Amino acid sequence: MQLNGSTGTGLQSEINITPLVDVVLVLLIIFMVVVPLMLEGYDVDTPRASSEPAPQQAEASQVILRIAPDGCGILDPPAGDGLPSNCRVSLADHEIPATELPVRVREALGGRPRDQRVLFLAADDRLNYEGVLRIVDLAKSGVDDLTIGVITTD
Amino acid sequence: MQPGEPRKVQSAINVTPLVDVVLVLLIIFMVMAPHMRQGPGPEIDLPATAKPHEQASAARIVVTIDEHGALWIDDKAVAVEQLGDGLRAVAAGQSDVKVMVQGDARLPFGEVRQTMLVIEQAGFHGVGLIAERTDLGARKG
Repeated sequence: MQLNGSTGTGLQSEINITPLVDVVLVLLIIFMVVVPLMLEGYDVDTPRASSEPAPQQAEASQVILRIAPDGCGILDPPAGDGLPSNCRVSLADHEIPATELPVRVREALGGRPRDQRVLFLAADDRLNYEGVLRIVDLAKSGVDDLTIGVITTD
Repeated sequence: MQPGEPRKVQSAINVTPLVDVVLVLLIIFMVMAPHMRQGPGPEIDLPATAKPHEQASAARIVVTIDEHGALWIDDKAVAVEQLGDGLRAVAAGQSDVKVMVQGDARLPFGEVRQTMLVIEQAGFHGVGLIAERTDLGARKG
């Protein structure tokens, strides 16, 4: 076998990039197809507002997270990434700083079976939506599979 | 081309420019992907939160609420009174349709709550609230 490329035939010295092109093209197509489909957010339940009976659950076992403007003044979009440092919310009628939410929610709901980990959210209408979602994010970060029920009726 | 054979014409297509273009496209898409996480509808300022979860992509309807409270179902603007009927019309014939609400970050929570109430009354139980990750630094102010 002749190994010297300078004589006569010339050895094929280029890298075979066909597999590379295959892989890259497939990756490109995957990204182009998937990108518009990706949405991130929070699943929330809207407890039945109509005639259907609400799921049987003892009043005492419901954990309600209340957010009021005088406890947490997020009437405008919160600056930066987090919440105002003096933000206080009420979890099951105990007023706590919002930063303690992950721990407190885990204490309150972490011991329950997964399908009964429901946190009801009662937020004041005047509060900023982004601020409320950040509080929801904090509450969800404490417990896996936490269902958020938003109280939609007035 | 085999060694020992007489020289042949180089018959393969030169794919180097193709590879260049495709690689650049791929990198552009990879970089842009996290910033393009908005569904159909008008451009809005999504709420930025720490850990939003991936939302199911099958059979979904995206309801957009812009900063003035105007509503869209996917790409079509609808009046508030027609939201329920519009949702039922879009969902007709599909099963297990999930409604996603993408509300502008500047809205008061009440606007979103009332929209969720209308969606609930139209027969869709549970919604997804769309947000984007803060660590992208994609705040538009």
